[in-house]
Amino acid sequence: MHSDFFSFGFDPGRLLLWIVLLPLFGSIINGLAGKFASRKMVSAVAVGSVALAFGLAIACFVKLTMLRHAAGEEGEHARILYTAYEWFSVSVGNVNVPIFVRFVMDPLSGVMALVITGIGLLIHIYATSYMSEEPAYYRFFCYLNLFMASMLILVLSSNMALMFVGWEGVGLCSYLLIGFWWENPTYAAAGKKAFVVNRIGDFGVLIGMFLLVYATQSFEFDAIRHGAANLSGATELAIGGMAQADHHSINVSMATVACLFLFLGCAGKSAQIPLYVWLPDAMAGPTPVSALIHAATMVTAGVYLIVRLSPVFVMSPVAMSVIAIIGASTALLAATIALVQNQMKKILAYSTVSQLGFMFAAVGVGAFSGGFFHVFTHAFFKACLFLGAGSVMHAVHAHGDADIRELGGMKKFMPRTRMTFLISCLAIAGFPLTSGFFSKDDILLGAAFVGTGAWADYPSWVGWLVLVMLVIAATMTAFYMFRLYFLTFEGDFRGAHGEQHAAAPPAPSHPGVEGAAETHALEASTDAHAVAHDAHGHDAHDDHAHGHDAHGHGGLPHESNGAITWPLMILAFGALAVGFLGLPHWAHLPNIWEHWLEPVSARLPGVETEASAGLGGTMMLIGTLAGLTGIAIAYRWYMMQAGETPAALAARFPRLQAFLMDKWRVDELYARIIIKPAEWLSNFSSEFDKVAVDGGLTKLPAFAAQAGSWAFTRLQNGLVYSYGAVMVAGIVAITFWYLIPHPNLQSAVQGADVKYVAATGYGYEYRWDVDLEPGFETNWDTNTHEMTASFERAARNRGAAVMNGRPGSPPPVIQLRHGELYAFNPRDFATTEWMKPNTDGTPPAMTWQDGKLLIRVNDAEVRQDGLPTTTPTISLAPGESVTIGGRLIRAAGVMRGTVEVRNVFGYVSRESVEVTIENAMPQAAPRGAEAHADLRGGL
Amino acid sequence: MSHILTLLVAVPMLGALAILFMPRQNVKLLRNFSVGIMLVEFVVSLALLWDPTTQTRVSYAASGFMFVENYSWVESLGISYKVGIDGISLWLILLTTALTPIALFASWQSIDTKIKEFALAFLLLEVGMLGAFVALDLFLFYVFWELMLVPMYLIIGIWGGKDRVYAAVKFFIYTMVGSVLMLIAILYIVAQYKGVSGHYSFDIVQLTRLSLPRTSQFILFAAFGLAFAIKVPMFPFHTWLPDAHVQAPTGGSVILAAVLLKLGCYGFLRFAMPLFPVAAFESAPTLAVFAVIGIIYGAFCAWRQQDVKKLVAYSSVSHLGFVMLGLFSGTTQGISGAILQMVSHGISTGALFLLVGVIYERRHTRDLDAFGGLAKVMPIYTVLFIIVTMSSIGLPGTNGFIGEFMILSSTFSSPVMPFARSFALFAATGVILAAVYMLHAVLKMFWGPVSKKENEHLPDLTRREAYVLAPLILFVFWIGLFPNTFLKPMEPAVERYVAAYVARHTEASDVATLSPDPAAPPGSGEHAENAPTDGPPEARAARGAQ
Repeated sequence: MHSDFFSFGFDPGRLLLWIVLLPLFGSIINGLAGKFASRKMVSAVAVGSVALAFGLAIACFVKLTMLRHAAGEEGEHARILYTAYEWFSVSVGNVNVPIFVRFVMDPLSGVMALVITGIGLLIHIYATSYMSEEPAYYRFFCYLNLFMASMLILVLSSNMALMFVGWEGVGLCSYLLIGFWWENPTYAAAGKKAFVVNRIGDFGVLIGMFLLVYATQSFEFDAIRHGAANLSGATELAIGGMAQADHHSINVSMATVACLFLFLGCAGKSAQIPLYVWLPDAMAGPTPVSALIHAATMVTAGVYLIVRLSPVFVMSPVAMSVIAIIGASTALLAATIALVQNQMKKILAYSTVSQLGFMFAAVGVGAFSGGFFHVFTHAFFKACLFLGAGSVMHAVHAHGDADIRELGGMKKFMPRTRMTFLISCLAIAGFPLTSGFFSKDDILLGAAFVGTGAWADYPSWVGWLVLVMLVIAATMTAFYMFRLYFLTFEGDFRGAHGEQHAAAPPAPSHPGVEGAAETHALEASTDAHAVAHDAHGHDAHDDHAHGHDAHGHGGLPHESNGAITWPLMILAFGALAVGFLGLPHWAHLPNIWEHWLEPVSARLPGVETEASAGLGGTMMLIGTLAGLTGIAIAYRWYMMQAGETPAALAARFPRLQAFLMDKWRVDELYARIIIKPAEWLSNFSSEFDKVAVDGGLTKLPAFAAQAGSWAFTRLQNGLVYSYGAVMVAGIVAITFWYLIPHPNLQSAVQGADVKYVAATGYGYEYRWDVDLEPGFETNWDTNTHEMTASFERAARNRGAAVMNGRPGSPPPVIQLRHGELYAFNPRDFATTEWMKPNTDGTPPAMTWQDGKLLIRVNDAEVRQDGLPTTTPTISLAPGESVTIGGRLIRAAGVMRGTVEVRNVFGYVSRESVEVTIENAMPQAAPRGAEAHADLRGGL
Repeated sequence: MSHILTLLVAVPMLGALAILFMPRQNVKLLRNFSVGIMLVEFVVSLALLWDPTTQTRVSYAASGFMFVENYSWVESLGISYKVGIDGISLWLILLTTALTPIALFASWQSIDTKIKEFALAFLLLEVGMLGAFVALDLFLFYVFWELMLVPMYLIIGIWGGKDRVYAAVKFFIYTMVGSVLMLIAILYIVAQYKGVSGHYSFDIVQLTRLSLPRTSQFILFAAFGLAFAIKVPMFPFHTWLPDAHVQAPTGGSVILAAVLLKLGCYGFLRFAMPLFPVAAFESAPTLAVFAVIGIIYGAFCAWRQQDVKKLVAYSSVSHLGFVMLGLFSGTTQGISGAILQMVSHGISTGALFLLVGVIYERRHTRDLDAFGGLAKVMPIYTVLFIIVTMSSIGLPGTNGFIGEFMILSSTFSSPVMPFARSFALFAATGVILAAVYMLHAVLKMFWGPVSKKENEHLPDLTRREAYVLAPLILFVFWIGLFPNTFLKPMEPAVERYVAAYVARHTEASDVATLSPDPAAPPGSGEHAENAPTDGPPEARAARGAQ
């Protein structure tokens, strides 16, 4: 397209775009054309595109270092930025916030891009050999390249929305690659599980993102980092839209809420409690996938995100503590499970979960640089371990995974694999001067540092707790890694299973044979591990259905070829060497790593000091001791004793052993408390939809219509006598209506009067009683269907006390006739003051006299018009009120109208209506306008 | 004045007329002609984007409606033939013209009885849908709205599955109940308008100027809202949808999901919300509750379905919950996202129904348990199905993501809707559930060993089926990667709409009044040159006197 794409120094931003696009194009080319291309072509495209991307990443990285040096003091902000185009925008409040497809390389994403492309390249090369027998070779590389593109988008994007593309993209690739051998239903289900669990996390990322964007009105990481100050621990935002009602808002700071939601996402992607369960199952994927996605790169995305947003996270020591404790718990939990597992990849998978726990514990205690350093070193040694395991499985033609009880003595057969594996084991165990040694010590030191209370806002007990948990986990790590190493590479080959299999393959499948479909899945899945056939001169076979038939020799394990061993050696070298980038600062050694990441990792607020040399040295000592102890125990139990102690322990604590073997039965727990209820809910919804929703809204009206139509059809029966009967019934009904008069009395306040209206009817006569005194005032008259009564006169005789009731319920009204005495009883009031012992022995009471409400209070706390009053008797005109014992009492006038209606047949009906006027005495209002009086009418 | 919109409505109608005179024995002619005329229609609709006379792209930045045509129809009642579009209806029209030929073309593979009638029904269906999208006169809209119902009723009832008559009648009556209430409401508004202005008008631009009392607004909004909510369909008025989808032939399902449901959402946007802003605004939180229930409930129901078509139908309930949430969010990008989500849902669900149709034709079942391991026998089919699945569950980079994301994030920070953040929070769980039910279906259909003998030799996609799906797949990625192609033209219209909607949400008086400024109503301002000289002179005088 443009000639300056590759002209370095011209626009390095363009290169960023190509780092992403190259693997993407590689994936598309292989996806569309790979089926028709030779394996060499497919490998060339896949490996070539990643190699080019690696080259470009190095170029950009070099450029970035140059920029940083050139900028001197300002170098902190050196970055390479490239905006491709505006993607779309969203509304944040009333503001339109555009989202750009924009890539950035800064110290953090630079390192990540190098790790992804570099280690990715090695694993691609490895896979060209490892997967060479795979029939869907092109499909594998299509997915793998797509993963590279997604992962690069994840780390290189400059904003959260674009990052989410990568975030979900890697999830998709993970799904596709875990279920790569989809003919095995378990593998396919593992893929689905990974995707769904990750989606739970993605939900957290979405909400966390929305919260941050809501506050900062930008998706850009930079803006969010700068805007972190806006997210101070104030309670300005209440989650759940309850900001309107302040007293209902949850008193949690926004940063905490956002960080916890984001952490949910990180827990999904990076396999932390409670969402780690997908990762062990993910080992169903081909080994290079386990190495690349489920060890070195994708699973560290959560750590990356936290470091990226570290200025936000440091605002919430609460969220940080949660992360630290969950990280340390994950580290410990996974380590205990790894102690007893027997499958190579299972052990490594739990080891990965455990190591990720270390990283989260690190960022949780604020050691961002240290945590990310562990991401970096872990990428080398864990990728090397997985690939080494793959090499071993490859050598013994293991199915999907290899049982270490059936290995042993592999060092004789595969010296290179063994050396690299040993180096990586030493690194992960934290053996002095290996890379893991430095990064793990950084983490322990970080925990101890906050434990000493250096960060005032942070609970120091969390630091100590995390430290203790991590040291135990580190000891276990060293133990189970060396258990794995000793059982696999030392001693004698116990390869009964491998040889047996090689000699007599189980149930070779033939087309048409019963059960072929079932065995087929397994065959397909194991095929890739039978790579050795080709490499050792056996006939290549096209039809993978009889893959193992052709493998009828009992050969001993053998070293893998160069495409496998070279990546191993490079990674092992990295596992040894890269630690020196992060030499401890407390020892006054140059910590290149920390310095490089300074612009991106947040400082802990209010922390000026650094860890002392004493603390640093102590932690280093403890870390080293933990590692050496683990190794020593493993050596004693598996090298010196041939495993009697562990067997004895297992025999002594069989339930504990089973519990650990079953991975704490967390999957079973989730099945019970989450999956089952969700399935139940889903069943319920679908039944509810059929019965209640469909039944209620369609079937029921339909039935009613049918019933109605049935009834009406019955009426049209053509029988004269039935028509006659209906006619008679009709006549009776009409007559009855006319026989009885219907007053239907209504009332309305008009000015100072109350107007009563009775219904008109043929031949109706009326007489009225509206003055509250017995007897009718008017005589029978046909014209008086309306009657007006003066309120003032009427109210003299009758009134009411309207009391302030409990909120939400209508106020109780006590009606009083003239002179009627009402003695209060305790039920009338909730307050106690009113019911004080009487001073004169007379109960508190009220009465209605001459249009006034008189209340005798008997020493109650009385406020009249807001002022305390000492009057023993309170007198209230209608509309006036008083507060007694915290309770409002209002005087109101009551009116009552009664009408009798007589029709021509002489029948008389009587109806009454009562009107309570609570407000002030109505005044004569201007003509035509209605007085705004509160009417309470009732019969 | 351009007659492009009239042409759009006329082409399929003339096509239908021509079909009437074709011999029913000449199946090939009928098939080719009907698809041909729809392709012509599609080409014609492209003129909405690109003006061939001036050789430029049509800009939708100008305020008001474009391509307006206004002719008096029943003068004494103020009924006119008034059509026009803006950035909001533009993409829905293009969605219709693009998907109808695809659906019909796909149908010709399986429909082999009553070809002539089927072609006729489909062409009339297109007339109804396009007419409803372009109508700016409430009466005209109502005519097209009802017109649409009949061909779809026939398509389900005649060419449908086993229980087709039940489904067709249910579909017809359910939608009809809503429509009748809407008709009464329309008449009431027009009477009110006449009371204030002195003359009748069904013109939506004129009617939008009317401010009705609060109570009337609520009652009328309920009547309109019910008609549209049934069409959307919103929980709990959705139960006709699974039945209709399951029984309808593939082409019918595609159009039903892709376009017909969108008319419900469009009705809210174009008519119910601007006509009754106070009621719409105040009931937005309540309706949002139903939208969110729809999202979650639809997803849970979808998960348990054994019939793939039913599963997709319930997923529509869930997806359209997002659309409604976006519409009620009262934010520019929330509504833009909702419109884009309508288009996206049309594409991905249309594609899903086509894909389900493909497997149904081969196996004559849609039971999930009847499949398994199809990835082995039908690899290309599998790839396409998974792409569409990913689009349906809103994977970033596909069309489904953009709309969902715009809706969720804009709703989350909506300044006008109470409890907006809770709604967004609960709606976002739909993201998880979508993965659960769609991947459940994928797992059952494609992964694992080929466990059924019948599936062992299923042919992969034919060339014809691939051609049908290819354009949809293209748009899955186009919208996903470059959504601004679609969002930019609709932005001015939506911005005006939201500004007017938010401004008028408190505007209710005790009696009906007419807003004095004819340019103010949301989404309905007009080019001055297009402003009709509506109403008799005394009416204008009356307005001037206010």
